[in-house]
This record gives sequence, C-alpha cells and structure tokens, in this order.
Amino acid sequence: MCTSDLRSEHCIRTNSNMAQYDLTNKLTPYLDRHLVFPLMEFLSVRGIYNETDLQRTKLDLLSNTNMVDFAMDIQASLYPDQPPSTELTEKRSRVVAELKRLQTESAQIFDIFADPEVQKQVQSSRDYKTLVNYLQENHKFKPEMLDVVFKYAKFQYECGNYSATADYMYLFRCLVPPTDKNYLSSLWGKLATEILTQDWENALDDLNRLKEVLDSGVTTSTPLQALQQRTWLIHWSLFVFFNHTKGRELIIEMLLYQTQYLNAIQTMCPHVLRYLATAVVINKSSRRQALRDLVKVIQQENYNYSDPITEFLASLYVDFDFDAAQEKLQLCADVLKNDFFLVACMKDFIDNARLMIFELFCRIHQCISINMLAEKLNMTPPDAERWIVDLIRQAKLDAKIDSQQGHVVMGTQAISPYQQLIEKTKNLSFRTQMLAMNIEKKANTARSNEVVFKVGG
Amino acid sequence: MTSRFFMSDSGSSESESEEEIREPTNFLARFSDDEEDTKRVVRSAKEKRYEELQNIIKNIKNYKKNKDLASLHSSFEDLCRAYIKAAVVIEKEDGGKIPRFYIRCLVELEDYLNMIWDDKEGRKKMNKNNAKGLATMRQKLRKYVKDFENELTAFRENPDVGDSDEEEEDLAEQDGGSDAEDDMLTPAAFKKETSVASGDSRIAVDRMAAGDDADDEDEYSDWGSDSDESSSDSDPGGLVPLREKFLKKTVTREEDETKKKHRSERKKEPKAPKEADGGWETVKKGSVIPTEKPKMFGKDDEISIKSVTNKLNEIIAARGKKGTDRKEQIELVHELMGIARENNLGNAMYIKIQYHLIMSIYDYAPSGSDAMKPELWEKVLKKIEELLEMLLDMPDLSIGSNITEEDENLETSPYRVHGDVVTIIDRMDVEFCKLVKACDAHSNEFIVKLRDEVKVCKIIDTMLDYQEKHGLVPDVCRIYLRKIEHVYYKYDKKAADQARGKIPESEETSLKLMEKLCSYIYVRDNTDRLRTRAVLCHIYHMALHDRWYQARDLMLMAHLQDTIQHSDLPTQILYNRTLVQLGLCGFRHSHIKEAHNALLDIQSGGRAKELLAQGLLPLRQNERTSEQEKQEKERQIPFHMHINLEMLECVYLVSAMLIEIPYMAAHEFDARRRMISKSFHHQLKNSERQSLVGPPESMREHVVAASKAMRNGNWRTARDLLLNEKMNGKVWDLFHNADEVREMLGRKVQEESLRTYLFTYSHVYDSISLVTLSEMFELPHATVHAIISKMIINEEIMGSLDEPTFCLVMHKTEPSQLQSLSLQLADKLHNLVENNDRILDQKPFFQRNMQGGGYRDRQKPWGGNTGRDRRDGQDRQDRGGRGDYMDRRSNHIGERSDRGRDYMDRRRQD
Repeated sequence: MCTSDLRSEHCIRTNSNMAQYDLTNKLTPYLDRHLVFPLMEFLSVRGIYNETDLQRTKLDLLSNTNMVDFAMDIQASLYPDQPPSTELTEKRSRVVAELKRLQTESAQIFDIFADPEVQKQVQSSRDYKTLVNYLQENHKFKPEMLDVVFKYAKFQYECGNYSATADYMYLFRCLVPPTDKNYLSSLWGKLATEILTQDWENALDDLNRLKEVLDSGVTTSTPLQALQQRTWLIHWSLFVFFNHTKGRELIIEMLLYQTQYLNAIQTMCPHVLRYLATAVVINKSSRRQALRDLVKVIQQENYNYSDPITEFLASLYVDFDFDAAQEKLQLCADVLKNDFFLVACMKDFIDNARLMIFELFCRIHQCISINMLAEKLNMTPPDAERWIVDLIRQAKLDAKIDSQQGHVVMGTQAISPYQQLIEKTKNLSFRTQMLAMNIEKKANTARSNEVVFKVGG
Repeated sequence: MTSRFFMSDSGSSESESEEEIREPTNFLARFSDDEEDTKRVVRSAKEKRYEELQNIIKNIKNYKKNKDLASLHSSFEDLCRAYIKAAVVIEKEDGGKIPRFYIRCLVELEDYLNMIWDDKEGRKKMNKNNAKGLATMRQKLRKYVKDFENELTAFRENPDVGDSDEEEEDLAEQDGGSDAEDDMLTPAAFKKETSVASGDSRIAVDRMAAGDDADDEDEYSDWGSDSDESSSDSDPGGLVPLREKFLKKTVTREEDETKKKHRSERKKEPKAPKEADGGWETVKKGSVIPTEKPKMFGKDDEISIKSVTNKLNEIIAARGKKGTDRKEQIELVHELMGIARENNLGNAMYIKIQYHLIMSIYDYAPSGSDAMKPELWEKVLKKIEELLEMLLDMPDLSIGSNITEEDENLETSPYRVHGDVVTIIDRMDVEFCKLVKACDAHSNEFIVKLRDEVKVCKIIDTMLDYQEKHGLVPDVCRIYLRKIEHVYYKYDKKAADQARGKIPESEETSLKLMEKLCSYIYVRDNTDRLRTRAVLCHIYHMALHDRWYQARDLMLMAHLQDTIQHSDLPTQILYNRTLVQLGLCGFRHSHIKEAHNALLDIQSGGRAKELLAQGLLPLRQNERTSEQEKQEKERQIPFHMHINLEMLECVYLVSAMLIEIPYMAAHEFDARRRMISKSFHHQLKNSERQSLVGPPESMREHVVAASKAMRNGNWRTARDLLLNEKMNGKVWDLFHNADEVREMLGRKVQEESLRTYLFTYSHVYDSISLVTLSEMFELPHATVHAIISKMIINEEIMGSLDEPTFCLVMHKTEPSQLQSLSLQLADKLHNLVENNDRILDQKPFFQRNMQGGGYRDRQKPWGGNTGRDRRDGQDRQDRGGRGDYMDRRSNHIGERSDRGRDYMDRRRQD
C-alpha cells in the first residue's frame, strides 16, 4: 500500500533559482502518492515551479489512484476547452461499481462492529485473540472477513476517503496477529491516513508502533529491506515531527541518537540532514550536545550533501567564520520559506540561529562593538542593542553595555585554580563514602551467604 | 633423465648443475628415483586398490600353477585384507558392486581347491606345509565365500562374460595401456592433476609408492631380469628397502645407461614387435609410460578424435611425476598437435591439445619458486594468444572446469571441452610476476621484462571479453579480479583529472572501469576472498586518484580491519598497501590526522618494508632458514608496484610533526602527557643525543630539524627545511600534484606553528594583537581568527578576543607551581577513586591488566595491526587516559558499522 516509487517529476520548469535547494524531488521516492499531494499543493502556492507542469505531474500521480474526481478537476483546469476524457469517466464508473461491491461485502462486518457492546469490547480488550474469540462466539465472526476489511480500507484510501480508512485500519489492526501478511501494510496505511487527516497525536502513536515493529526485525528479511523501510519511515516521520508539538525533540532523539536511523540517513538520504539540523537549531533544550554530534555528522557527509542550513552550522562550528555564517543564515531564510516541512519554523530558526551566533561570539570575545554585532546578526544597531539588553535582563548573559563606546563587555569567565581544585575534589569524598558502603554491603552479603551455607550444610 | 642433460641447451644444463650442487645428498637417490619414477602415475584411490587386488590375484594364479599351496594361502589372506581396504572405495565409486575380476578369482580358487582336494593321490604326495595350507585354506575360503554367495552363483551362471573380459583384459595388460584401461584410469588422474597443486600430487605419488614398486619390479621382468626375484619383491605392500634399491641401481649404473639406450632404441621400434614378446609381459600393469611411446601412432592405426584424445590422456597422465621428462612432455603434446592438424580433427581438438600444451609448458619449471625460462615464457605467451584466438573463433564451443571429461564433445557443435582457461591466465600472471621479480629492479633487463606487461594485459583483456560472453559467473569474477589487479596500482592521469573535476564525469577512465569490475564482484562473488581483494584494490585505486571521501567511506564500510588477520598473507599485504595509499591520499588532501592514523600501524614498528612486502629485513637475532627466506621472497611485490618507502616515511613523520609539536607545546608541564607517535619521538631523541648536529642531510634529519624550528615558532625555517631542493628531489616531486602538496604543507606549517607559538608563549603575553600575529605568520586575518577562536572554544588557551582592538586578551590563569601540583594531585586522586570503583565493579579487573605485556612480540609480522590497535587502546584506557586518537578512531569506525553493512547491501542491489 505504501510503495509508490515515484519518479514522475520529469520535466518541471523552474521559476526561480530557489529550486536548487528544493528537496521535493529527493523526498518523493520515499513517500506514498497520497502524501505527495500536500507537497505539491505547497509548491504550487510558493510558485517556484511552473504551474502547468505541476498540474500535469499531479495528474500523473493520480493516474494510479482512485481519486477520479480530483483527476477530472485537474484535467479540466489544465485543458479547459476539452471535455473530460472518456477514460476517466469510464474509470469513475468502474471505481464506483467496485466500491459498491466492497460495501455490500463488508456490510455484514460493519454491522457487527456497529453494535455498541462490541465497540466496548474492542476498546477494553488488549489481546487480539480474546477479541476474535469473543466475536466468533457471539457474532458469527469469521477470520476471513478481515481480508475483506483490509481490502475495503485500502480501496477507501485510494479513493481519498482517509478518515474512513483510519477507522477500518484501526479495526483491522486490533483483530489480526502481528504475523499477518497485511499487518505491516495496515500500519503504514494507518500512519498515512493519520498524516493526511492531520491527526498528529494519533500519527505519533502509529509512528512509534511502526517503528517498534520495524526495529524488532520481525517483518523484514534482509538488511537491505530493513534499510529501505527505515528510510521510508524517516521521510514519513517528517510530517509528524514538524507538526506535532513535541516533534522537535523526538526527531533529534530518533534520527540523531538511534544509530540505525542515522546510518540510514547517511547511506540513503543525506538530504534529511537539513531537517535534522533545523530541528537541532530550533530545539532550545539539550542543544549543545546534540549540536556537537550533528556537526560531526555534517562534516562527515559534507562531500555528499550540503545546503545552506548545514553549511551554516559547519561555518559556525567548524570554521568559526562568522561572516560566512551570516551569509548562510540569509540563504537559510529563503530555503526555509520554500520548504514544506520547515516553513512553519522559519522564525524560530532565524531567532535561534542568531542566538547561537551571539552565544559563540560571547564565548570567544571579551569585548564586542555593537555595530559589528548588528552587522553579524543582520539587524540595525538600535535593534541589536535592544536585543542584547533583553538578553541581559533575562539573565542569559553576563555582560554590560558600554554605551559611550558602543561596546558590549563580557563578564570574565576565567575560573581560578582554587575553583578548579574544588570542582575536581568536590565529589571525591562522597564517592569514596559510597565505595566504602558498597564494600561493606558486599562483605555483609558474602558473610551472610556463608552463614546460610554453613547452616544449610 | 640423462637425455635431458644431453639434449638441453647450455643454459639449462647450468641450472641443472646448480641444482645438483644444492642438493648433493639427494643426488644419487634422485638418480635412481628417476629411473623408476618414469612409471609413476597419479591415480585415484580406486585404481590403486584395484591394482593391489589384481597383483595379488596374479600371484595367486602363479602359485596355482606351481601348486605352492602355502604361499597360496598367505596370498589369499593378503587378498582378503586388500579387499577389506578396497571395500570402502568400491562402495563409493561403484556403488558397492563387487569387481568382476575379484569374483572370478574367488570362483577359480574355489574350483581349484576342490580339484586338488578331490585328487587324493596328489594330496598324499604333498609336503607337510602344503597340506596344512590346503586344509586351512579350504576352510577359510568356504567361510569367506559365503558372504559373496549371490555374486558367485551369478558368475557361475554366466561365466562367459567374465571369460571374454578376461581375455580382453589380458590383452590390455600386455599392451601396457590399451584404451579400455586408460579410460578407467585417466579421468580421475587428470582431475587430480588440474585441481591439486603439483606438491600435493607428489604426496599422492609417494603414497602410492607401494603400488609403484610392484610396477617397477614388473618392469624389470620386461628386461629379462630374474622373474623369481621380482615376484618375491613384488609382495604387495612390502616396500623394497630403499637401500637395496639404491645399491642395486648404483652398482648397475652402467647397466642403466645401456638400458637407457636400449630403451631409446626401442622407441624407434614399431609397436608390433613389442606386442609379439608380450608373453613375458603378463605382469605389466596399469600406469602409462609415455617415454615408451615414441611414435604416436602406428602406421595402420586409425587416427580419430577418440584415439588422439586417448593419446593425449596418456601423455598428461604422466604430468607432475618427479621423473617425467618435462621437455619431452612438451614435445609429445606438440607432436600430437601436429598429428591432429594433419588429420583435420577440428578446432575443438586443437583447443584441447593447445590447452594441455600450455599446461605442460607451465610444468616445465622445475621448482615452484623459480621463474620460467625466458624462451619458454615467450612461447607460452604465444600459445595462449593462439588459444584465445581459437576460442574467439568458435562461439559454439564452451570450455570450462565444470564440463567433465565424460561430457566432452569434440566432434559436433555445440562443442564442449574440459579445461579451466582462467587458470591458464592466472598461472601466466603468476609466472609473469616471478619473471619480473627474478631480475634486478634497476637493470635494463627489468624494463625489457616489464614490457611484456602490455602483452599480459592484452591477453587478460581478450580473456575478459571471452568470459563475459561465454563464461560462468565464478570465472568471470576471477578474470575480473585478474584485470583489477593489473589496473589498481596504475595511475591514470585522466582519472585523477576527473576526480578534480577537470574532465566531465562521463568520460571513460580507469576509475570507471574499476567501479564496474568491482561492483560486479561485490554483487556476484560468493567466495569471500575475491570480494575482499576487489574491495581493497578499489580503495587503493580511488585513493591513488584522490577520491579521498569515497575511498575512506569504502574502507570504513568494508569492515576489513576486523577480519583481515584471518585472511591469507597476500591479501594482508594488499590491505597494508591499501592503508598506506589511503594515508598518502589523506595527506595530499590535508587530512593530516587521518593520514597519520593510517600510516601509524605500518610505520610504528619500523617494518614498513616487510609489511608492504617490498624487501626483506635483516633479522637481528636469528637467521632465516632457507625455507623461510624462500617463502618470504615469494610474497614480495614486484618492483613496479612498489610504494616509495622514503616518501611514505617522510609523509608519516611530517604528519606526526604537525600533530605532535603543538601537542607537546600545549602539554609541556602535563604529567600525563603521552606520545602520539613513538617513531617520531625516537627520531627527535636520536638527534638530541648527538653532541654535534650538523646541517640536515637525509630526509629524517630535515624533518627533525624542521620540528625543532617549529617548536620555537620559527615557521619560516621549518618550512624551508621541509620544502627545499633536496626534499623536493627526495620526496615531494614524487607526488603527482607536487605543487599543491607543497602549498598545502606550507600552509599547514604556518598554522601549526601559530598554534605552537600560542601554546608556548601565551603566558608571557597579557594580550596579543591578531594583526601582529597574522603578520608574523603571514596568514590571512580570517584564518588567524578562526584558529584562535577554535582554541578558545576548545579551552586550549585561556583567553578571549577583544573585538574592537583585534586583540587576544589572556586571562591570567596560569597556575603557580603549587597550584599546578595540587591540581595534579587532585587528578591523581580522581583516578584513584575511579580505579577503586572499577575494582569493585568487576572482579576480573586484575586479570585483564596482567595480560598486557609480552604479548605484542608474539604476534605475526603481517597485518596484525588492528589487533595491536585495540590492545593499545585498551591499555590506554586502563591507564585512565582520556580519549585519544586511536580511541576516537575506533569509535568513528564503530559509528558507521551498521552503515557499512547497509552500504554493501545497497551496492549489491545496485
């Protein structure tokens, strides 16, 4: 259900040079057809690409789905003077007939589930076995029916009726064992529908469930398959992570700190580093460590993939070239504006990036002129001054402004040897105490064991 | 053998005499051996057993005639024993069907005994021994025969078949190698020949000595020696004592000579007379004696594909035997070729003969390690070319080791021929390698020899084309690897330009070729060895052409560092070479740290020469045995593939200098300072020990002098010491992008000198102007700023920048002596606590620490590098050291471990 290897992005003319940083082309092979539509919509709004070309691609995309009405609309807008093609109308009648057939087939099943008693059971029972048993005993339920449910759900999905699909998929998943041949597909399908209906809370649940299944390795036979599945998951998860409120932390957790996913990124799709980098930048908590790890990865993959966002981090944290970083930051803004996933966090990103530059500046410098700082931060001097004042007031910064010379003077951070010594020896006595206690405990247990042994022997 | 002395040209006789000198003790024995060995044939176990049985049966027949019942009895017991031995083979090869001749023998024996038993008159006359023998024999036979009852009755019902068989067989035996028997013998023998190295087959021959001895004695009966003696000697399993043989032979040396002549005379005789006196030759057995077949075919013999094939099989059956006259072998095959051509037996036949001709030329070289003679080499090249031509001309012919001798079809299309042509190419390559190694690398001769490389490559290419069209996957893989091994070390200017983006990616270069060949092997090969070698060659080639990132990634993903110790030595050597090349590539790309890490293992023991197989190191303690030396010489890489060792060492030392000098400056007073590079320190110490240091002469002295200058922040001197005419000539001009490397090196020296300067002198400054620094070190302002920023962030220097004045303001945190001592004390306490914790956590801590020393010396010289790494890493951790290069590197590799697998899989899918 999820394998749509889409390479139909053939000849799309671009309207601006921003298209060089556009990743849609790289992302789509790993997305389902239906998931591509939001991206396409977004692109047509941004107007980077030629509109008619986009429409044509959309029509291509639709050719393998059952969303005939949508296709007809697009065709009408593409070729306003032509009547809707007979092919499409025929297909429409075929689809409708098929839908009818499946509906009648599955009506019986949905009757069962319409029963409020059953619904309660479904919600309360955790194990699919007990549930199936219950249904078989009380409602003439047959396991073969599940296949019908799956088929119907899939059909609904292809018709674009996502919310219905989500319900059926939920039912299906409740009733089949994880070894069922359609189990994995149903998980992917459920995730897709949740994404398309923008139900992020559930989508995150599904994402985690899917991840567990993939990581358990039950469903995949070869490492290569596992790698592919992970790559898909990474791409699909972008929808969730950049829309869910907690997604920004979770994406770092998953993509940067779970080696198999990081490996998948490095091997298959280094372009995802952009999203990872953005997430790290806009994520305030736990940034420092994540940054260090991320920069390492970016450096490694530098020859393979780079865009303004990764370059920004590289020039800031590898070369300490603030001017270059500043330039890249401006480019970043453009890139973010035109990225489907990142457009929402553009402001966040810019703010945080500025803060990062400034922070680094402060760590290196003792005294900075505000004019220079304003230039580096891409602000006017008064704005910059206000910004710094805000920072100082919020006690994030140990600094003073020398307004006569227009300087910011940092507080000294040097640590005296005394302090160092204290730092180093602070926990020694505590640890030694713990050690002593541990030894004592061990000795005691050993002795008591001995006693028991003696008594027993 | 004598004929070889006389006939061969002066060159060969020289080598012969050398051989004699070298093995004086063997000489006489060898001489006598040669006489017999002419009859040695490599046979399968089945043949061997059958022959044993048949010998005994023959004896039994004799005793029957003589009515020597006592001997008959003992022979019968021998027969039973031999049969038990043979039973296993029979079970395996004939599916348990008891050989007919054996049954026949039993039947006859039974009849005979009954006859004698019934002849009561005769029994009474018998002497005591015989009578006793008869009685026990009869009983035993009765018992024994019960096991074979079915077969015996079957035989008795249908004895005619057996009789006719017998006649045929007798005939065959007299013939000394007629078709029927040959067919039985040779396929197995031949298979063995091709698959087993000659050394092995020799062992096999030795194992069969017993059987052979019997043959030899039989042979003597040919020559009219005492038949009684022969029969007693030919007791099966009873080896004729070597001494006896020796004595006999030396005494009758002259006689031997005459025999020799006699024999050669006989060669000229037609076959017919020989058959005429066949009455004497009833004991003549199995093995084929090509030397006795001077004329290929009699006048009246029909020359057909079948007969020529048989003849060919006869000839090659003598292959690999110690005493076979190899030269004559070649001539015989050659002659056969002529006969085949005369009679127009078709291309398939020619190909088959040609194949064996090439094989027998390969066999000519007396020992495995010496190179071929030049004229033979020329000849074999020509022959291979011819063979390939023929193969290419015949698209409807398939040749391969998968086609068994039985499946051969030489007469009609589609033709099928047994033979492993890739092996021919492999052997050719090996021989070429030996040939090149045999001559002095700096002589003109070497260059002349090396010219043949073009021919070799051409042959490989032709073979590659042929295999691509007709070959099986494993063969294609092998020939691909052969090709790869001829390409990987060669520098292709076009490929390097492409790597630097001067030539479009679409252009056909050696890199492309490597990519294609290697990915084929990655995907299709299932022997690990080919793939490992292909990966290594691929990395080497990419590194050679400045594809640093791809080479590095492939190296990391291939995970060879874990398994390389378990592979064969040539592969380990290739691994070392690849690692070195990777290091050089890293250096060219100014990845100093990576270069240093890659070269560290090879350079650290001072055994780079040995590890790269580019020459033998003199051993300090004990001399090599000649065997060892021979082995090591065999492993050596031919000169044209060498990596310049001086360049290697220089690159390593310079890398070490660039890392070590700033590090030393930064940790001057650090109690826990470690050496990053031992050999670099060794060089430094050596120079310090000298009372008088003159101007640098050698490469090492230059680097050491540069290091000293760098330590003082004197970057200009340092640079000039590294980059000057002398060093250019010695090292830097050897890089293909020498100017870029020099420029990079100059820049690196400036940067690292700046860092060293800051480390060394920062405590005397309150503030330093960045402008002054950039003037001092002639570095752009931005670079200085970046370097200093990095140092501040990494807390290498305590200070901060004052932006309006472009100054580096030092924070006075340089501790007093008391303070630094107490800090050290705190550190040590910290370590103590940590160690205590660890002891408590894991009891086996002590054991782990104890296994450190002494272990290192025991490891093998070849490629045990990674093991050493790990151990070092562990040692360091145990000492409580912080993460250092090695640790970080192993982490780095570990990080991508999964990725490696994924990557390889992806390639496989591609």
